[in-house]
Amino acid sequence: MGYDILSKVIELTDSTEALEKRLKDVAYLLIHSFAFDQCAIYLLDQDKKVLTLAVAVGSKRGCQEEYREDEGLPGLAIKNGKPIFATQSKSAKELWQGGLDKGTNGFNTIVCYPIKDDWFHGVLYLKNKEKKTISIKQKRLLGVITLQLATAIKNYQCIVNLRDINTKMKDMQYRLVNAEKLLALGEMAASLAHEIKNPLVSIGGFAKRLSHQMSLDSPYMSYVDRIVKEVAKLEKLMDGIVHFSKEEGYAFSSEDINSIIEETIAFFEDDFKKNEITVIKELSLNVPKIDVDRQHLNLVFNNLMTNAIQAMEKGGRLTIQTYQEGNWIVAEIHDTGGGIDPKIMSNIFNPFYTTKETGTGLGLAITHSIITNHKGIIEVNNNIGVGVTFIIKLPLAGKEGRILEAS
Amino acid sequence: MKEKILVVDDEEGIRLLYKEELEDAGLNVHVAASGEEALAKLEKDKFDLIVLDIKMPGMDGIEALRRIKERWKNLPVILSTAYHHYKQEFGTWASDAYVVKSSDLKELKTTIKDILRK
Ligand SMILES: Nc1ncnc2c1ncn2[C@@H]1O[C@H](COP(=O)(O)OP(=O)(O)OP(=O)(O)O)[C@@H](O)[C@H]1O
Ligand SMILES: [Mg+2]
Repeated sequence: MGYDILSKVIELTDSTEALEKRLKDVAYLLIHSFAFDQCAIYLLDQDKKVLTLAVAVGSKRGCQEEYREDEGLPGLAIKNGKPIFATQSKSAKELWQGGLDKGTNGFNTIVCYPIKDDWFHGVLYLKNKEKKTISIKQKRLLGVITLQLATAIKNYQCIVNLRDINTKMKDMQYRLVNAEKLLALGEMAASLAHEIKNPLVSIGGFAKRLSHQMSLDSPYMSYVDRIVKEVAKLEKLMDGIVHFSKEEGYAFSSEDINSIIEETIAFFEDDFKKNEITVIKELSLNVPKIDVDRQHLNLVFNNLMTNAIQAMEKGGRLTIQTYQEGNWIVAEIHDTGGGIDPKIMSNIFNPFYTTKETGTGLGLAITHSIITNHKGIIEVNNNIGVGVTFIIKLPLAGKEGRILEAS
Repeated sequence: MKEKILVVDDEEGIRLLYKEELEDAGLNVHVAASGEEALAKLEKDKFDLIVLDIKMPGMDGIEALRRIKERWKNLPVILSTAYHHYKQEFGTWASDAYVVKSSDLKELKTTIKDILRK
């Protein structure tokens, strides 16, 4: 009889059906061949450390959906790495061999077998209402069956992983093709941007002159204001597009990060006053000079401070820190502007993503590309309802041999 | 006495804007529409500073810069162009400063003042 069941189990687990169907077929086979009232198979989620019910056949009574890794008899079987075979009288109810399990209520024979090969994959859980003995031969058989189940589950997981990798590769391929298209588009945009910039500068410049000539109560003031604002936005957009299409052209030299930050703070002095923002500088005097492109890094702090100022229109505190941490020079820019809605968090570094009427959505995208070009890291700490901290880490000069583009 | 500067740009809009804005800032502003015209004006007249566009048809700003610095070694030149990245392409090797064109002339004005003060 044993070999019959085994060959049947192998046949079922090797089929091309979905895993759940295969497990269910095996479960049916087991309650019939071993004459049990209930057979459940739990799968172990390695990350979450829980056993989740995959299939259950027979009586549905006391069949728990989930066990924590340290819960009930399934948990105990995993913990011990050994099967539990138990029969008990009706009075003992839920307590079995030191494991408390509500799922045993009303059952008097329990087999809880870990499904494992070189690792745990789950638990096979058989229950019977009546007391019954399980022969040594049956125990051995169950050992081989669970091993076969382990193989089936592992293979299935391999296939799922493969599929996952496959989708990722397709996605990557798609993005590569897209990147090429973007590059071509970028070049076109850059040459167009050149033709557009000069007229834009004169439109914006003259509109500004016009607004200075006008009296503040002129009904046309708002028109001119709009022109000035829209032109400024277009100029910013053009600068951004050109930045992305011409990313070479970095000129690295040994610079003091603190002095770049001081320069940017000085640039925004009027805005800080206007928005009633207190600026707190905690610049470490010990940070060594590092190889950076000063102008580009200026742009980084400019973008981050602009965002902070825009987030703190009704006042707040801007804290800027610098310090050395191992092989990194770190700059933190912290605002109290209420933070970023977690729903949009994954978009903020995307080009053209903006929540602002006059934004281009290029600020953080450019910032990110500049930091990457410095072989640095940019991180965001979002404190919802409070504020945001942008953390910039730049490698110390000479470390990891940065490849300098020849210009 | 007002300082005399020469703005060289092939775009009429830019020449007009720069002239008016810089005159308001207290400078005596002359304009030229090309590198050739600029050199001709420099031959006839004495200037305190040049604002020179890089991208121009005919003789471009870089060639004009080379010739200006050859002949008038101490005449300060500010290179002006549409976009930042030109700075890396051409460098500031021979000019005294570099300004990106913007409808906001604040940076250009402070740069001019800084250089003239020296
Ligand atoms: N300090 C911050 N506080 C709150 N939200 C922020 C902050 N920084 C960025 N964001 C959010 O991220 C979005 C993207 O920022 P990014 O700087 O890329 O573009 P932008 O500021 O909208 O436009 P631009 O930079 O062209 O003015 C912003 O629209 C805003 O919603
Ligand atoms: Mg921004």
